[in-house]
This record gives sequence, C-alpha cells and structure tokens, in this order.
Amino acid sequence: MDDILLYFAPFTIPFVVGTLFLFIAVGVKWVLWLMRLPRVDKLLIRRGIFTRQTLIAVWEVIRESLLHVRIFKHNPVLGYMHASLAFGWFLLIAVGWIETTVYLGADFVPLQGHVFFKYFAPHLALQEHYAVFEQLMDALLLIVLSGVMLAWFKRLRSKALGMRRTTKHVLFDRIALSALWFVFPARLVAESLTVAVYGGGGFLTGSIGGWLAEVVPADVLAMVYEPAWWFYSCALGVFFVAMPFSRYMHILTEIPLIFLRRWSLRPNKERRSYDNFEVEACSRCGICIDPCQLQADLGLNDTQSVYFLRDRRYNMLSLKIANNCLMCGRCEAKCPVGINLNTLRLNSRAKRRNIPHEGRYRYLQGIDRSSGMGKVGYFAGCMTSLTPAVQRSMERIFEAAGEEVWYADRDGGVCCGRPLMLSGETDAARKMMESNRALFRKHEITTLVTSCPICLKVFKEEYHLEGVEVLHHTEYIDRLIAEGRITPKSDNTAYTYHDPCELGRGCGIYDAPRRVIGAVGKLAEPKHTRRDALCCGSSLANTVINDGQQLRIAQRMTAELEATGCDTIVTACPLCNKAIARAATRPARDIAEIVAKNIE
Amino acid sequence: MAYRVVIVGGGAAGMQTALELKSRGIEPIIVERDIELGGKARGWHKLFPSFTPAGDIMQPIAQRVKDEHIRCFYGQEVIGIASDGVTLRSEERIPADAVVVATGFTLFDAHRKQEYGYGLYDNVITSVDLERMMNGGRVTLTDGSEPKRIAILHCVGSRDEKVGQKHCSKVCCITGVKQAIELKQMFPTADVFNFYMDIRMFGPGYEELYREAQEKYNVHFVRGRISEAAETINKRIQIKAEDTLTGRPLRMTVDMLVLLVGMSANYDNPTLAASAGLPLAPNGYFKANDSFLGVVRSQQEGIFFAGTVTAPKSLADTLAEASLTASAVDQYLKNKYNAK
Repeated sequence: MDDILLYFAPFTIPFVVGTLFLFIAVGVKWVLWLMRLPRVDKLLIRRGIFTRQTLIAVWEVIRESLLHVRIFKHNPVLGYMHASLAFGWFLLIAVGWIETTVYLGADFVPLQGHVFFKYFAPHLALQEHYAVFEQLMDALLLIVLSGVMLAWFKRLRSKALGMRRTTKHVLFDRIALSALWFVFPARLVAESLTVAVYGGGGFLTGSIGGWLAEVVPADVLAMVYEPAWWFYSCALGVFFVAMPFSRYMHILTEIPLIFLRRWSLRPNKERRSYDNFEVEACSRCGICIDPCQLQADLGLNDTQSVYFLRDRRYNMLSLKIANNCLMCGRCEAKCPVGINLNTLRLNSRAKRRNIPHEGRYRYLQGIDRSSGMGKVGYFAGCMTSLTPAVQRSMERIFEAAGEEVWYADRDGGVCCGRPLMLSGETDAARKMMESNRALFRKHEITTLVTSCPICLKVFKEEYHLEGVEVLHHTEYIDRLIAEGRITPKSDNTAYTYHDPCELGRGCGIYDAPRRVIGAVGKLAEPKHTRRDALCCGSSLANTVINDGQQLRIAQRMTAELEATGCDTIVTACPLCNKAIARAATRPARDIAEIVAKNIE
Repeated sequence: MAYRVVIVGGGAAGMQTALELKSRGIEPIIVERDIELGGKARGWHKLFPSFTPAGDIMQPIAQRVKDEHIRCFYGQEVIGIASDGVTLRSEERIPADAVVVATGFTLFDAHRKQEYGYGLYDNVITSVDLERMMNGGRVTLTDGSEPKRIAILHCVGSRDEKVGQKHCSKVCCITGVKQAIELKQMFPTADVFNFYMDIRMFGPGYEELYREAQEKYNVHFVRGRISEAAETINKRIQIKAEDTLTGRPLRMTVDMLVLLVGMSANYDNPTLAASAGLPLAPNGYFKANDSFLGVVRSQQEGIFFAGTVTAPKSLADTLAEASLTASAVDQYLKNKYNAK
C-alpha cells in the first residue's frame, strides 16, 4: 500500500484510468470473440496450441507486430516509421521496467511508477552508472520521435513516403491519432523540464534540460514542470481510452490474429467470430488504396478495402460498398497484415444469401448433355461458350494431341456456381456445384481441363474433386508441349500477356502461360505484370460499376499492354478477352487460339 | 457567281442535297471517299416497306447528278471541316461558302459479337450479306443447299451496352420483317424465326407489314435475344435464347442465322468534329443543333448535316432531310451575303 502511495501523484490519474480502461476493453473484446468462435475453430485452437506453430507465431509476432518486416519490404521508409513507433515504444517500456527493477530491486512498483519513473526518482541522476540508462532511454525516445516526425510528414506530404493517397479517418481515429502525436513530444518536454530542475539526463533530455535551465527563470520552470507531466499523462490516457475504438486496436489485435492464423483458422464463406480478429487487425494504413483501379481509373474513394473494413467494423457497411469491388486481389497482395480481404468482402455479401425456391433448380436433376469419352474432361464454361473461337481452338489442340476427351458442356451445361457465390448467393451456387460434381464423378474423369479461370478457382477450392487433377488449359497445353505431344511452330509475332486475376493472383498460375507463349512467339511484359497485373475491369465480382466504367478500366489497362509494342495481346480468360477486345486497337487472342493457329 | 457548297459524302443524303442545291442555283461539290457514288444503299436489294428495288430509287438520283454536271471528287477523304471549306487527306483545301456533312454511318462489325460466331461458323451471315445474296439471285447455305430453318436475330450491335452501342438503329426491325417475308417467298416451306427484344414499327405501312408477315407468311416472332450460337458437326447452327413471353429457356437448331447488324457512328467522327469544334452525341454521332427546328444545322454557322450522320434513319427520311438541308443552306447563304 505504501508503495502505491509512494508512486502516487494526481497527474497520474488520467494515465492510470486510461490504462485500466484499455485492459478491460481489450480483454472483453478478446474473450467475447474467442467465446463466440464456432466449435470447429475452437477445436483448431486446441489442436494447434501445443505444437511448433505456437513458437513460430511468437517469432512472427516479433517480426510483424514489432519490427514490421513486411511493410519494410513494401516500402523501407514506411517500415521504419512503423518499426520506430512500435518497437521503439516497446523498448522504452521494457528498458524502463528494467531500469526500475535495477534501481529499486524486485519490489512491487505500480505501473505509473515505471512510466513516470523520471518524475518519481529524479534523485537517481546522481547515482553511479545511471547515465547508461539515461543515454539508452534518450536514444530510444529519439527513435520513437523520429517515427512521429515521419507520421506528421506523411499526413502533410504522403507522396514523399511513396503513397499517393492516405486514409480518410473517422473521429475516434482522429482523437487517438492526435493523442499519439502528442505522447512522445510531451514526454520529451516533461523529462527535459525535470532535468532542468534536478539535473542529470542523457544526450537529448540532458541538453534540452540544460538549455532550459539557462534560459528559463527557475520560478517559471517550477511552475510549468508539474503541468508538463499532466499533459503527458493526459495524452497517454486519451490515447488508451480511444484505442479500442480506433484503428490502433490493430496493435493488440494483430498478436492474437497471428496465433490463430498459425493454428489454421481462416475466414470463410460465412461470417464468423474469427472475422473480428481480421477486421480489427486492419491498421488503416491505406496501402490498399493506391493499387485499387476503382480509385486510380474511376476516382471512387469510398470502397477500397480500408474503408470496407472500417464500415464493417463499425456496423455501417452498405451492400453497395460490399459489392463495389472487382475482387482482383491487387490490394490483398499488398496488405502488410495479410488480411484475407476478398474472403471478408465475399462473406459480407453473403448476408443477403437467399434460400433458392425449390422449383427453380429442378431442371438440374439428372441433367447431362455431355458428349465424348475419355479420362480427360473439358469444361469450357459459360464465358468460353460466348467466345467460341477459344472452344474451337481447344478442340483442335485435343485432336492434334490425340487426346480422348469427354466434353462436359459442349452442348450446354450448368454454370460452375462461382458467379452466384461472388454475389453472395451461396446456397443457389451450391445447387449448381453439386450438379456438376455429380456429373464429373459419373463420367469418372481423372483430369479436368477448363478454359475459364473463374471456373478453375471454384473447381479447385470448393468442389473437393479428390482424385481428379484440375488444370487450366494453359497448364494443360504447357504440359502437351513439354511432353512433345504437340509441337506448335514458332514465328516472330510479338505477344504481350495479360495475367487474368483469377488465374494469377487467384490460382498462382503465372509461368505456364508464359512458357506456352514463348513456344509460339516472342513475349514482352507490360509494366504491371504477374502478382501486380492490372484487372480488366469486367470482373463478375463487381455488380455496382456500370458498363462505361468497366470500359474505362479496360482502356487504361489495355493501353499499358499496347505500350509494349506487341502485335497481338494474349490472355487466358474468356472474360478478360472480351474486355480487352473492345478496348484494344490490336487483336486480342486467347492462348489456345495462338497455339491452335500454329499447329501444323 | 454562284455560291459554292462542299458536300462531304456522296451517298443518298449527299447526292440528294447536291441536286436540291443545284435546283436553287447553288454550285454543289461532292467529295466522296469511295471510287463511286451511292453509299450504303448501293448494293441493297429491295427497300421496305414497299419492296421497291433499291436501284429504282438510287439509279435515277445518281444519273441526275451526272446529268446536272455536279462536280465530284472520288477517292478523297476529308480530314478537316470548317464553315469555309474542307481539308483533304492530300492536304488540299477546297474552299466553299458552306459545308454539308453527309458522311453517314458505319455498319456494326458482327465479329464483335463473337458469341454469334460470325466469320467463325459457315452459315451465320449479316442482313447486308443476305441483301447481296438476294441481289445475286441465289440464297443458299455454304454447301449450296436451301435453308429449311432460318433464324433472324434483331439488335446485333444496337441497344447493346456490352459493345458500347446504346442506341436503337431504327431500321433493323422493319428490315427483319422485310427479309423474313422475302425468305418465305423464296422458301415457302422453310421456318423463319425472328428473335427480337421489342418490335418497333414506327413508319407508315410498317405495322401492317409486320401483321402480314405473321398472318400471311407465318413468320414466327420470338421475344428474346439469342444468347449464344454454336456450330453442329453438320454445319447447322444451334442457338440458345430465352422466350421471355413464356419465361422459358429455348434451344433450337437452324440452318442459317441472319444477324440484323445495326448502325454505328463513323470511327472518324471524333477527328472530324474536333477539326470544326463541333460536339458529338454520347453515341458518337454528330449532334444536331436542336431536335426540332435545327435538325440539319450544326452548332457552327455554315456547317450543315444531311442524313444518317446525326442518327440512324431510313432511306426515305434521309432523302426528305436532304431537301431540308438544301433549304437551310440556301437561307443561310442569302442571309449572309444580303447582310453585307
């Protein structure tokens, strides 16, 4: 009790109240989120907790929550800003605690005793070896302050830090942000004033304090000394109270998220309690804004992932925002926290999931319009049916390779279900998926080739076709060429390749199409390519933008393809193909077409 | 000395405007990109709604242009227009007291609707191809046999946002009815299906012809766009559509698919318009000064329009408008020079 009184001063109240509030608020959040996890997720935690994954998670927490290695890789200056604030602050707390322990022994010291140590123990300045701590703490403070400076500078001139646009913040964020901006300068002032009065201090607080002692009259120093500590405590208190409701909740949310992720928890088609960890782990850094073509090409400023997550977190998400996304995955590829942005967007749409009328899908029963025989199945997909040149080319290639093919949908078939899933109608989608899966099983295929990356993704992720190898036609053609089953001739045509989102970022297929194009001509890469490739704009995932806006995105992206000086634009998705064809001045061809054309 | 008016385009609108100006004592000069006059109407078989041979209308007009000794430049492309003359690709300038833009339209390229397989499947043709076949006297499948089942698809490249053609091309509905009747006259036992979104029978005698097609010729009309076409092994065309009146999907195999291609704005409209500082309508056509009394006037004094350069029109409307253009030009020249 004595100790508590010993380390009590009225100015510490805002800090103590703020800290207690923070612990309770965050604790309540975590407990509620964990309790509400469905049974499967709890099981995953129980299975994962005593494995190596937990240790890996600890290491990842150090790398990501303290050092911010991923942001460093994306942008070193931004990385330094985050690391100096997070790791610097952490070290200030840790070294401060060691400092307290060293000089006061292992006695219990209440929290405010560590944090305001300088106030409570100015006399230590006269002790031996204390200068080492003084210098160390000053160095750490300087590092944190440099991070704060960068943050200020970023607000004023975001371009200088490599970001064209930064996030527009909500009120709680602004309160917390302002408080955070003041915390460390306030600490510097309070400690310097203390040094000015009592002496001591490191290279930073010492010099400022010495200078203050010279120029400021002693009675004035004595007057402002206490208010300076009040101000520092208030800044901390306000920040801690605002934190659980602001973007700074990410600091504490990312830690459990890393553990849960290591224990294999993932967001899903349905909203689950786990989503809270992902949603609140968003720091609203705004790195997702610049890659968004809805921003760059159409000037839409309210629908990027950062705003979507913000709206969802504060329960003000409109269906329009949820739906206004191409789900191209460009932002997801850049998210430093690794949030599953597409899945969260998708399960936000699932809110309006409908229970389909029983009669509506009765036609699916026993439907089978397939033809041909063979262990290799070919599913063209709806969009390929609308680009019959692709289908013809595939038939030509199958014939040239002497492949026995079972054609799943040449005379009409059932949709793969992904367009319905993308619009949140998962139950209706399931009807189609079950119908197709039964069809594939019935014909006992071992390989399933599709020309449509949209179908490919759903076949791979949702169909659970154990024992059936699912291939995109680019992979299949690549294999035929490698095995020498077809030998297309090569000419000097200059091609450029557009990575379809669903094939590239969606399924990770980048090299097979490039090898195939290399086998028939020359390939030139556009400015944005592979994981960074642009979206064609015609994505089925977006039901908000209109045709003119789709066209504008296509034109911007096609201009980049044409800037390579190519003769022909090649892609591997029938939907992208249509989007490019109407925006381009040069012919747009599917990869299957250029191969079929070059087969003797 | 007679006033001089340059007319850009020697199609129906350009020729008729030239004749009307000549009769008013004004000297017209036609600049035609092609090597002969006549425009899109040349090579058309018969005209709706009266089945008059296109030549019966167009040939006398072309002959009169010749007889009246109207000066024509052939194979010359105009790249710049102004109220005091035009600039040719050869950089030659033809000065004038007024300019009439009568450059017409461009046919929608059916290849752009790849799902219908034009250029890919043998027996998918456009309405223009059909007219040419009828002009040649024989309509057959590529193997030389007669079609027994024919589908005519309306609105290919019209009212279709997906290809950036939001407007109605106006004349295709009645052309579809006319061609269906002609096909039934040629092949009385064949089934002819018209797939449409709306049937727009706006002109005199059109609605009557539409009824006649159904009652007398037993042409079938199905409300629903064809979504896709595929070729069967024996070169027939399998089409998928939705009959939106019964609300059911529909599959059908036909011998021939005729695509009623729409009218697109010319690709060089933006450059021409920019050269004169004139605005274009959102669909790419030139924008008339207003929709009532100024339909042949541009927003620049001394530049006038005639025919389909401002919007899709029938041949009858185009010829009628040419007289109006001539009258407006005449009035403009009188005001301009009397005021001096």
